[in-house]
Amino acid sequence: MQVVSRLRRFIFSPTILRIFSVLSTLFGISIFVFVVLRVIPGDTITGSFGIETGVLTPDQIAQLRHYYGIDQSLLLQYLSWMKSFLSGQLGYSFSTGVSVLKLTKSALPVTVELALIGTILGVVIGIAIGMFSARKPGSFRDFAGQLFGLLALAIPGFVLSTAIVTIMANKFHYFPNGLEYMPPWENPWTNFQQMMFPGLVLGIAVAAPVMRTTRSALLETVDKDFVRTAHGKGVAPRKVQYRHILRNSLIPIVTMTGIQFGYLLGGAVIVEQIFALPGMGRQVLNAITKREYATVQSSVMIFAIMFVTINVLTDLIYRKIDPRIK
Amino acid sequence: MRLRKKIAVVGVATALVASVVLIAPAQAVSKDLVVGITLDIDKLDPQAATSFATVRALGVVYGSLVEVGPKLDIRPGLATSWGFNAAGTQLRLHIRKGVKFHDGSTFDAQDVKASIERILDPATKAAARANLLTITSITTSGLDVTLHLSTPNVPILAALDGVNMAMLSSDDIKAGKIGKSVNGTGPFKFVSWEPGQSVKLEKNATYWGKAPKLDTVTFRVIPSEASVLSALNAGTVQFAVITDPLIAKQVGKNLKMYKTPGLAYMVLQLNARKAPLNDVNVRLAIQCAISRSEVVKTAQSGEASIIGPITSPAYRSNPNDRPCPNADIAKAKKYLANAGYATGLTIKSIVAPTQFATASAIAQSLKSQLAKAGITLELELVDDSTFISRWLAADFATAIANNGGRIDPDTMYTRYFTSTGNLNKVAGYSSATLDALFIKGKSTSKVAERKAAYRAISEELENNAVWIWLFAPYEYRVTSKSLTGFVPLATGSLIELRKADLK
Repeated sequence: MQVVSRLRRFIFSPTILRIFSVLSTLFGISIFVFVVLRVIPGDTITGSFGIETGVLTPDQIAQLRHYYGIDQSLLLQYLSWMKSFLSGQLGYSFSTGVSVLKLTKSALPVTVELALIGTILGVVIGIAIGMFSARKPGSFRDFAGQLFGLLALAIPGFVLSTAIVTIMANKFHYFPNGLEYMPPWENPWTNFQQMMFPGLVLGIAVAAPVMRTTRSALLETVDKDFVRTAHGKGVAPRKVQYRHILRNSLIPIVTMTGIQFGYLLGGAVIVEQIFALPGMGRQVLNAITKREYATVQSSVMIFAIMFVTINVLTDLIYRKIDPRIK
Repeated sequence: MRLRKKIAVVGVATALVASVVLIAPAQAVSKDLVVGITLDIDKLDPQAATSFATVRALGVVYGSLVEVGPKLDIRPGLATSWGFNAAGTQLRLHIRKGVKFHDGSTFDAQDVKASIERILDPATKAAARANLLTITSITTSGLDVTLHLSTPNVPILAALDGVNMAMLSSDDIKAGKIGKSVNGTGPFKFVSWEPGQSVKLEKNATYWGKAPKLDTVTFRVIPSEASVLSALNAGTVQFAVITDPLIAKQVGKNLKMYKTPGLAYMVLQLNARKAPLNDVNVRLAIQCAISRSEVVKTAQSGEASIIGPITSPAYRSNPNDRPCPNADIAKAKKYLANAGYATGLTIKSIVAPTQFATASAIAQSLKSQLAKAGITLELELVDDSTFISRWLAADFATAIANNGGRIDPDTMYTRYFTSTGNLNKVAGYSSATLDALFIKGKSTSKVAERKAAYRAISEELENNAVWIWLFAPYEYRVTSKSLTGFVPLATGSLIELRKADLK
């Protein structure tokens, strides 16, 4: 009896429930992507041969279907992809003749770097302007801060990217992204130049909601008793601002940053196109056009795993910020 | 503290300015050409290549028997001379002596035989197979290769041009290396392909023509045309093909632009096998409701030439040879009334906005023009692959398509408009008259007779409003001023990069 109740307690423990929910989310996404790709018209053959598919005889089409593995039942196709995904090879890209793992190895670091730069810039700019605004609510500086938030939310990433690219190239003859992409470990200086503007575009997109959340969280905290007490005890205003107010406002800010990271992965698709960065966004987009099932499925799964991981990390950070959360 | 802050601000500003200034080394004088492409290549088998990027990149690596020149003349390539027998059923080609493949092996008549047989083998899925189906056998003797044909087929000579007719090494074919490794006879040798990023080529010092002046050619993937133009302006790319007229209009005086009308054409395809478009009156009503110049003006900023069915320069249709050369709404309404749709009708159209830069704008222009005649055009916006799969299955009433052209009308339209053509289902129309005219055009080598046959084909297509041919977009090849000696070709081939130089 005791064993059963201990087992039940173990199964229903928050950690196990969390692991179960993460795995079922990922499983659900894998099924969803798999089905959606097959519901939309076209397949790997039309993706690869275009209108020349019309030249192929039924025999050739049958051969190609076999070659691409799309003549198997849906269940078998799913299982064989899953097997390849779990084995780490992630499937095979027919148009490039290499495994999806090899493609991802060069594309993933680009997107991760871009997302990290975007997040860091977004959080730094967002919190700074949020604090700047919240210091004197209703003042001109508050108005200016809020105006920034509104503009940053209103201007779509692709407009900002195109504007930057066009102005820098036409006026200053500067477009480092036209050069071969350089990873930071090969040429950090060129990499910095290639990542600077796309990172900034994504950073601005993240900064706006972070700024708004920071401002409202700070304004809510500033009236709390413990802040008044701290002021009353004669703690230096700057110390109150950072150690008492900001620290206790961090929960919504961290939540917002976690959510924004997910959007950032989506935004990266467009920014990578405009700034010619060979990242995961471009990999997915090309693969969708060519109906390269394994590449799309595995890339989306990697995005999903990243998103879920960030969510779990956000939860862990909560506990660090506020030990009352279990 | 304040001073330190100021120093930090000045430091950051200096770093940013320096980063702008320091880009200059990218423009250092070199013989390394960078070509900006919006889509990556998708395979390494030249005979099965269909995407523009693949055709362009592999086109400078491989060679073909003949080449189509700037004036659409047929020039010697890997064959130095040729001739048909009197009946037009045998084509004898004399092969160039001393040509080497990039791996050092010698190119000979056996390679020609093996290459053409590979194209004819259905397993290759070669794009040019349909053009060569009249070949019954190939014989060789020394440096001579003879193609034996089942019926007279003069246009086959022009069909021997291009990357889809690439001459491969017979040893490579036997070893199953095609598509896995690259070994051509062209002016540039393949070095590497980084999927999604770039294709690198270097000069072939043993090229049969003059050795190229450029040391390397890199095809770099920059997905948007606006960014490609930015890269050209910044000097990080020196050559690009632009298709969007709005982007082309932004090309400044710091760059060179070659504007050539392409062979490809925009068309409103009608599926004449499905009601209501099986009624010629409905099709003519659509023809009469559309002003092509209006479409070109609104969707293309005036950048395109209005065309009839045939865009092949030597056989070009007169665009005004049609029942309604200009919009005539009263006539359109009359045709509709004849068809029993006096109160108007609704027709669906598939459009792939990603297939062509201005596809959506063209669709909108057609929709508003047709509305004036009482025809409601319902637009279905789909992605490329969906469009192609529905197009191939003839699963549409009308389709706004950007179709490729050929320098010979036979290879351009036999596959669409003869009753046995492999794309006849897509064309949605065939007739005994058209079948007979195509045979007539194919079986004579007399230019005047051929011209008469294709003029008749063009008239037959227009009088029956089989499709509504709109315009041929221009192709813009934009280069930096430092690139000299390049000659653009209407076929889209970049083979003339062999004469180009960077100064």
